Amino acid sequence: MSSPIVSLSHVNFGPSNTLILDDISLDLEAGHFMGIVGPNGAGKSTILSIITGRLQPDSGHIDLFGECLKRFNRYRLLKNIGYLHQLHDYTPNLPLKVRDIVAMGLNDYTKPLWQWLGSASHQHKDIIQALQFVEMEHLIDRDFRHLSGGQQQRVRLARALVRKPKLLLLDEPAAALDSNQQQKLYTLLRQLCDTQDVAIMMVEHDIAAITGHVDSVACLNRSIHHHAMKGEQIPEDVWHQMYGQHMHVIAHDTGCIGCHHD
Amino acid sequence: MIDMLEQFFTSPVMQDALPPAFFIAIVASTMSVMILAHRLSFLTVGISHASLAGLGLAIAFSLPLLPTATVFCVGIALLLAAIPKQRGISEDTGTGLLFAGSMALGIVLISQVSRNEVDLFGLLFGNILTVSEQDWHWLLLIGCIILFAFIMMARAWWSIAFDATTAAASGLPVSLLRLLLYGTVGLSVVMCVKLAGIVLTTGLMVLPATCAWLWGRSLISLWLLSMSFAIIGTFIGLLFSYYYDWPSGATIVLTLCIMFIMSWGAAWLTQRNK
Repeated sequence: MSSPIVSLSHVNFGPSNTLILDDISLDLEAGHFMGIVGPNGAGKSTILSIITGRLQPDSGHIDLFGECLKRFNRYRLLKNIGYLHQLHDYTPNLPLKVRDIVAMGLNDYTKPLWQWLGSASHQHKDIIQALQFVEMEHLIDRDFRHLSGGQQQRVRLARALVRKPKLLLLDEPAAALDSNQQQKLYTLLRQLCDTQDVAIMMVEHDIAAITGHVDSVACLNRSIHHHAMKGEQIPEDVWHQMYGQHMHVIAHDTGCIGCHHD
Repeated sequence: MIDMLEQFFTSPVMQDALPPAFFIAIVASTMSVMILAHRLSFLTVGISHASLAGLGLAIAFSLPLLPTATVFCVGIALLLAAIPKQRGISEDTGTGLLFAGSMALGIVLISQVSRNEVDLFGLLFGNILTVSEQDWHWLLLIGCIILFAFIMMARAWWSIAFDATTAAASGLPVSLLRLLLYGTVGLSVVMCVKLAGIVLTTGLMVLPATCAWLWGRSLISLWLLSMSFAIIGTFIGLLFSYYYDWPSGATIVLTLCIMFIMSWGAAWLTQRNK
């Protein structure tokens, strides 16, 4: 059996009296689509930052693609990851065409200038393909700054996809999209998992919107309160025992079990 | 008119001054693109003023001027790249602090030397007409290092300027690259100080790409445009400074400013007519 794409074991992060992440363990197999839900400040984005090595966990162990994530192999391992961070983290101010932005996702983008000139044609094919996937290929020569929020978001997704990652880490990818576009996006992601065996870890706050698409949902609030597989039913008394209040387990909604403080 | 140009090109002063002036313009306009993309214009103000302390040290201890200033500027630039985030001081505060401190140190050091030993006016406002053979070799060396660094890392720097978080998450050593960027900016500031002087360096480092920003739509086009603006600005500036006997650095910066206003007006007009 092949090793999981991501494996976190007993990861802790934050000062010991106010842990941000408390003893997180989870595995993600190839082709698996996992949703992470939880309230604000639950540590959802922190998990993604730890997997990309931007934050160091205080204790615990992370395996990526079967290798232990360390300082020295980090840059190599990250080349197989597509990452989309939260929208508010960034403000584009550079005059750039859509095609240039997607090209930034390519692993050989940062090569010296003269090497880039030689390899433009096969890159062009990859860029078109990624843009087609998010239905943006007709805007390839537009200035990125003149696009709408939803269009920008789809271009950024294309940038994460163009490197053909084995693992996609998405932080609220649907934030700027209307509900129609959201469902389209989730369908696209589902397709990636099924046809290309990509593993996806997606942080999202709207559980109801994603349940139809994901393979499992992890309810996170400091620690993982529950990891439900698709169609899985959890005995209600377990929840009563854990939280002591009435919960709807099957129908994930905003009142999700994992999303309440105990 | 032809006579005028011929006289300009054949004058011995200009024959000495033109190659370094154009070389500096090319290097400065190259880094200018990155300075705008990373919003480092205040950093160039800080480093150029800090170079006065480097020059002061060189004069006080009779060390070679340009090399000492180079080491000092790069040191200051790297310090500014490394310190602020760890100590909780914002970057512009750190820059302002070092800028004032090293300027003060420079003034104290230079005041100790008798006046006719130091061309203070030349240091502050630049004097490309007094480039010695040694200076020229030194400028060539650091200019080539800067251009090489740019060609090697331009795309990585560009990618970081666009979105540092994603760049870091997709496997770029962002802090190292940023350190190298600051160091390279420090080097280019030293070169500009020779042409435009401490006070006007920022103009030379910021204006070319600012003109190009209105027209360029990609890294390469911005770079080429920025260089063209800088070369034309330097040429016209030197021409005027030669004929009217104006200070060369100031005239070049003034020309670039006028070019920016014209470029801005043209961009505004084309956009309105669309």
